Amino acid sequence: MSPDAPPARAVALLERLIPGELREAVLGDLEEQFAQRLRTQSPASARRWFWREAVFASVALAFRGARRAVTSPGDSLMTSLLSDLRHAVRLLWNRPGFSVLAIATLAIGIGATTAIYSVIHPILLAPLPYPHPERIVTLWEGTDRATRDNLGYPTWNDIARGNHVFEATAVFKSWQATLSGRAEPERLAGQRVTHDYFKVLGVAPALGRDFTADDDVKHGPTVAILSNSLWRARFGGDPAIIGTTVHFNGFPYTIIGVMPAGFENLVDPTARLWAPMQYDLTLPWACRTCHHLRGIARLKSTATVSEAAAELNALSAAMVREHPTDYAKAGLLTIPLREDLTSGVRPLLLAIVAAVALVLLIACANVMNLLLAQGALRQGEFALRAALGAGRGRVIRQLLTESVTLAVAGGAAGILLAVGGVKALVLLSPPMLPRLSEVGVHGSTLLFALALTTLVGIGFGLVPAFHASRRDLNRGIRQGARRVGGRAHLVRSSLVIGEVALALTLLIGTGLLLQSVRKLLAVSPGFETAQLLTMQVQTSGVRYNADSATFDFFDRALRAARAVPGVESAALTSQLPLSDDFDKYGIHLEAHPRANPEEDPSSHRYAITPGYLATMKIPLLAGRDIDEHDGAAAPAVVLVNQSFAKRVWPTESPLGQRVRTGSATEGPWRTVVGVVGDVHQVNLSEAQPDALYLPEVQWDGADGALTLVVRSRSDPTLLASALRQAVWSVDKDQPIVRVATMAQLVESSAAERRFALVLFEAFGVVALVLAAAGVYGVLAGVVTERFREIGVRSALGATRANIIGMVMSQGLGLTAIGAVAGVVLALAGTRLIEGLLFGIGGSDAMTYVVVTFVLAAVAMLACLVPAWRAAGIDPAQTLRSE
Amino acid sequence: MPVRLGELEQLVLLALLRLGHQAYGVTVQQEIAARAGRDLSFATIYTTLGRLESKGLIAARLGEATAERGGRRKTHYTVSRDGRAAVKDSLRALRTMTAGLGAAWELS
Repeated sequence: MSPDAPPARAVALLERLIPGELREAVLGDLEEQFAQRLRTQSPASARRWFWREAVFASVALAFRGARRAVTSPGDSLMTSLLSDLRHAVRLLWNRPGFSVLAIATLAIGIGATTAIYSVIHPILLAPLPYPHPERIVTLWEGTDRATRDNLGYPTWNDIARGNHVFEATAVFKSWQATLSGRAEPERLAGQRVTHDYFKVLGVAPALGRDFTADDDVKHGPTVAILSNSLWRARFGGDPAIIGTTVHFNGFPYTIIGVMPAGFENLVDPTARLWAPMQYDLTLPWACRTCHHLRGIARLKSTATVSEAAAELNALSAAMVREHPTDYAKAGLLTIPLREDLTSGVRPLLLAIVAAVALVLLIACANVMNLLLAQGALRQGEFALRAALGAGRGRVIRQLLTESVTLAVAGGAAGILLAVGGVKALVLLSPPMLPRLSEVGVHGSTLLFALALTTLVGIGFGLVPAFHASRRDLNRGIRQGARRVGGRAHLVRSSLVIGEVALALTLLIGTGLLLQSVRKLLAVSPGFETAQLLTMQVQTSGVRYNADSATFDFFDRALRAARAVPGVESAALTSQLPLSDDFDKYGIHLEAHPRANPEEDPSSHRYAITPGYLATMKIPLLAGRDIDEHDGAAAPAVVLVNQSFAKRVWPTESPLGQRVRTGSATEGPWRTVVGVVGDVHQVNLSEAQPDALYLPEVQWDGADGALTLVVRSRSDPTLLASALRQAVWSVDKDQPIVRVATMAQLVESSAAERRFALVLFEAFGVVALVLAAAGVYGVLAGVVTERFREIGVRSALGATRANIIGMVMSQGLGLTAIGAVAGVVLALAGTRLIEGLLFGIGGSDAMTYVVVTFVLAAVAMLACLVPAWRAAGIDPAQTLRSE
Repeated sequence: MPVRLGELEQLVLLALLRLGHQAYGVTVQQEIAARAGRDLSFATIYTTLGRLESKGLIAARLGEATAERGGRRKTHYTVSRDGRAAVKDSLRALRTMTAGLGAAWELS
């Protein structure tokens, strides 16, 4: 450097910082003056003068708007905060490219996290909407949660009378009630409950009265309590409803109460009316082995869960002693209500929370990266501020104000995204999610978003702020032209490695889920799902109290359905596979009686009409199908599925064996006449070990609701309305519900995994794009910094390919380190989604390889752009700028 | 309503008036240093010039480049009619305020 030239770095600083229109004039003046000073002063003092002028000029002219943010001791905290804020907004406004990118990134991160939070909040976090909800437990028969069973009425009765730990206990079952006597009959979901049901929940009717023990006796008064929504929708919200009579299923019921508007019936959210159970111990279905009632209880404030467990064990032991053949083994369980409601969805939700957390982290890393790059460009500014007396804390505060401002803008956009996102989530959500009605962007969601935004703003701002403030004046100014120090570079590289690792983890999870859903939907349910339409036909009304009337109705309805044009075949079944139907009975073998029949195998029971196997296309493997000759008076016959036959009669032929269903001591012996293929009843992922089919007319009593299955010649949905009309031509008052094609049922049985998959896919794509942007950003920075070096290299004979290779290898090196870390993270992290996987391991090598390859390909694209730019650097231009 | 001037603005405007066509950054700095004894930084001068320009009191035009400026062109400034009015107004106020205070306060 020649001694009579002004300091090159100071010139470079000014060149960079002073706006275009002034740059020439100021630099020219400085240089002119410098030349004059050299005549009268030592070069060193002239250079000092130049530096001082350059510093002041930079501050005054480049950051005209920033002058106020430079500390002045008289500032109050509030004014300086305000001025910081103004400055921050102005800075963001002046760099629209950076701001839009950063705000959009943050909006995605904060929006996605807020949307997910608003879904999990009512389910996992908010207290249940009852007083002291922690004291409400569910009651079960059994010793462990996996095999727990519902309660029989006498078992509950013993608990209710014998315990000292519960304030109140109740059992309930679902109840379908057709509201008649009004304009059009309406099928309403309701519950039959024992009289303390609402006391267990801790909620009393808003109008009228609660059930009492006097209501809940056999042949007691027919009384009902309505939900607030039913009361408003069907009875106009008329308070005079109390004491009036309404007909349900053809019976007159006196309305005695209306529940409050905010009441949520979490154990059966569809229920809109309640009537007393009215059991007593003499009723045949009030048996210890009839596990058809669900139990709940409220602990006394003085009792603990473990005391309750101890007492229930004692009660159970006493029951088993007294009724040894009514229980397979001793044991009663309590499960806190919240756990009972959420344990099924908790793994799904936690996996989604983990996924969204990854997205948020990646978004923050990305913005942090952007800020670091900005910080590098603004080093001169920070150094000058420090030179003018701004303390380090003051500069950090200014920078934090900037990052929080950025986060708030991102957060505001994120909340808008979340509002839309929550709606989409609710639409997409699998039917198993509880409290969906409470999902939405509420106060708590906004609070969460606000807290998250602040945290994020401080979190991603802190590192760049400390970074930028660390430099002292001289270094900062001297480095002005070089832009970035090694440390900043290391931080940025680490961030990119982290982003790549997190994105890969998320993508591997997505890949595994994608494979799982594919494999799940490829599972054969054991019948042909195409062109099948199903609908549940129910009977209601006094006239169907006689079994013969019910049988006759279904028989005529089936004939009418078969006569509909386009119907290839039709049949009725009491249980439809892949619906929520669940109807199991104990099966007692004539040839192998057990001392305690409760230890006998149990099986799903299907009461079917002839033609069911043919309509569903369930294969008959041995023996014969049920046909028209198996009437009510004919010898009782059953079909069993293959797995059940193999398990129960491993060495004998199942054909000709005789079994009893339900009771071991009563009822006809039914002869096995055929063996059929296995069918998935509950879902596609679990194999079905048992199934027993018998002619509907040979069952102990008529089933009040049967599902009509119809195989059509063309699109089955086109038949729905004709079939409804056919059924109603027999009796126009009978409700038809749950109309669905089998294809829809198959799809919805994969709903949980599908839900997870959709979210993982969305988050995965966002993560991939953000990570690629991170790689691109760092490399672009590298190319800018090494502009001169690259120019020199190409001047010395490096080819385009050499330079592209050099830049690419740097980017891909970061990607490779990130990918290794991502694989390790994924191997550990897939445990979170293990329960959602199907037919594939959490460490499936193929998925890891393919996903890593996809990520590498995208990263390569992200590297290519800066590499291309580097290759285009003109050596002459670089040298000129020296 | 004439524009009110700050002291730096007065100094710079007066320097421009004195320098006429010769007025640009370096000469303004030197004029003020030589006559008023104020060694202003270029940061201060250009900030003031910027302010005056935005008030419409002066006008800028690009001038010639010279070797000792590293080949960079000068920006020349001239005082506008409003600028002259503002200076006159400002000086009148000063004269009025100092009138009668005695010889020690007389503006020369």
